Amino acid sequence: MKLSNSFQTALVGLKTNKTRSFLTILGIVIGISSVILMMSLGDGAQGLILKQIMSMGPNNVYVEPGSFDLEGADMTQAMMEGMDIKTLTLDDMDAIEKDPLVESVAPMVLNVARVVYKNNDKKVTVFGTSPAYAEITGGRTILGSNFNDFDVQSMAKVAVLGYKINEDFFQNENPIGKTIRIKDVNFKVIGVMEEQGSQMFLNVDDYVYIPITTVQKFLLGINHIQSSAVKIVSQDKIDEAMESIRLILRERHNIYNPEGDLSKDDFKVVSAKESADMMNIVTGILTMLLSSVAAIALLVGGIGIMNIMLVSVVERTREIGLRKAVGARKKDILYQFLIEAIVLTGLGGIIGILLGIVFAYLAAIVLSMALGTQWSFVVSLKSIVLAFGVAAGIGIVFGIYPARKAAELSPIEALRYE
Amino acid sequence: MLFEIENLKKIYGNNSVKTPALQGVSFKISSGEFVSIMGPSGSGKSTLMHIMCFLDRPTYGQCKFEDKSIDDFNDDELARVRNKKMGFVFQSYNLLSRTNVFDNVKLPLIYTGFSKEKENELVEQALKSVGIFHRAFHFPNQLSGGEQQKTAIARAIVNHPSVIFADEPTGNLDSKSGQQIMDIFQKLNDQGHTIILVTHEKYTAEMAKRIISLKDGKILSDELVSLRHYAKDGLIK
Ligand SMILES: Nc1ncnc2c1ncn2[C@@H]1O[C@H](COP(=O)(O)OP(=O)(O)OP(=O)(O)O)[C@@H](O)[C@H]1O
Ligand SMILES: [Mg+2]
Repeated sequence: MKLSNSFQTALVGLKTNKTRSFLTILGIVIGISSVILMMSLGDGAQGLILKQIMSMGPNNVYVEPGSFDLEGADMTQAMMEGMDIKTLTLDDMDAIEKDPLVESVAPMVLNVARVVYKNNDKKVTVFGTSPAYAEITGGRTILGSNFNDFDVQSMAKVAVLGYKINEDFFQNENPIGKTIRIKDVNFKVIGVMEEQGSQMFLNVDDYVYIPITTVQKFLLGINHIQSSAVKIVSQDKIDEAMESIRLILRERHNIYNPEGDLSKDDFKVVSAKESADMMNIVTGILTMLLSSVAAIALLVGGIGIMNIMLVSVVERTREIGLRKAVGARKKDILYQFLIEAIVLTGLGGIIGILLGIVFAYLAAIVLSMALGTQWSFVVSLKSIVLAFGVAAGIGIVFGIYPARKAAELSPIEALRYE
Repeated sequence: MLFEIENLKKIYGNNSVKTPALQGVSFKISSGEFVSIMGPSGSGKSTLMHIMCFLDRPTYGQCKFEDKSIDDFNDDELARVRNKKMGFVFQSYNLLSRTNVFDNVKLPLIYTGFSKEKENELVEQALKSVGIFHRAFHFPNQLSGGEQQKTAIARAIVNHPSVIFADEPTGNLDSKSGQQIMDIFQKLNDQGHTIILVTHEKYTAEMAKRIISLKDGKILSDELVSLRHYAKDGLIK
């Protein structure tokens, strides 16, 4: 018998056993699509975290108060801690800014305060910083303008609204020139930021930006800062600049630390890249979790395929016996079943891959909406190859194995098989 | 000589329970014969037929077909011989249940290597000669027992084999249908096919030219039929 004949026999066989073919394909589709979906979610999460970190710019380093905690330099956590640690001041930042490797410095103080406009009253994150912040993060105003260095020096009571804050308080009204009350202090609105989405998992559209000196003096009554973003002149100078910043701060804080033991400092300097590396450990765990879910899905799909193949063994063994009786050689039988298995896994594979990609795409859309950020849709070749490989392997092995065993029997034994 | 069977033994069961189905059977059949194998249930008729048509191997003894022993062939070569030279009707038809009559009958041909047109022509011929052509696209579960049996016979003769084996081909049929079937076999025999018929009915057996009687796996008698019945006579009646 020619191979083309085997092919035809196999196709006829598949059409004859529609339910079995359908269920096998279904098993493969479930296995493959869920693996692709899960792995896509893992990759997407990783991408999101990286993007969040990189959204602050790869050229940036962060200076935080407090000593270096080797266990985890989580920046958001550091920001929270930073509220109580008073070691860093604006003067420190001015000193850093003088370093030729440093392009600009944006000190930060975060504070949640009641903001009132007319009868609208909300708790809002008030973000005190310098004009350099918008420059470093690339944020632009869509209405009015940002505050300037003079506003910072003069502790001007001016506010720039985040995109959503403007929508919440002013709807269709022009906010420029209006007065809002923050913690019972009057501020003049001078600008509105463009929509930025989340950065570092913080929704910056929900912020009100005011000069850092104003926050320090009128809202919090403090002299220290909580954190600072420092833009370095170029990416390849980052390590050098970080070391230089450390030396400046050690000198200013009278810390004798010639060995450069980071735990002796009362501040820490972290690059965006270092933070990304930390985060990668977290996402690695996440990906592993999702992969285990995927593996279970694949196993379930695989067991499904196995079951269907094995259940039909009795019937198929008789069929094989009959085919052998009327003249099929062992080879003919094996080809027929191999082609059947290949067609099933191929078909299931294609559908599963497409469906997995569609699911991953939909998930990306849903997650983007739910998280209010751009969840990236990634389907790696690795996930496709892995999913398809395992499902196809199971499909082919369990398609052929019973056939092989049946083909070894004498026709009479196979015909009598129960 | 077409068949030379010598001291053939078949013992079923490999370890604990051993069933001797054939206990030393010897005979010869030449080309063009029409032989009935008779005997009560369990006497080893089917077992003998399966060995003769190369579907099973004997435990002991010789089974030669066209002067070549079954031991000289490997499984694939046996499949080849069965495909080209033998046709068989199983006691329990063994039709593919989800496959229609036409494709069931075509089954041996797909391992022969004819062209599509030739295949269809042969199937049509076989279906017509057993009178089941009008049921070509029915499925086995839509057929009567007799129609299933006819389908099995059509499959056995579709390849124009030189030897046709039939295990109780009339077992499930009324006497008229049975006569029709036997008429087919007698005609095939007239055309030169060797027919080996397994039956336990004396009357049917006597439509052959020679009867080999088995009992408990041994030959009881082996004689020519003196008063042969002709199926077509019965049909005219
Ligand atoms: N696969 C098998 N395994 C074990 N014993 C078997 C097997 N096939 C047949 N036998 C036994 O061999 C003996 C002969 O069986 P066989 O089928 O040849 O009888 P038979 O003459 O065709 O009977 P019947 O007229 O009922 O079809 C029986 O006793 C049967 O139980
Ligand atoms: Mg029998």
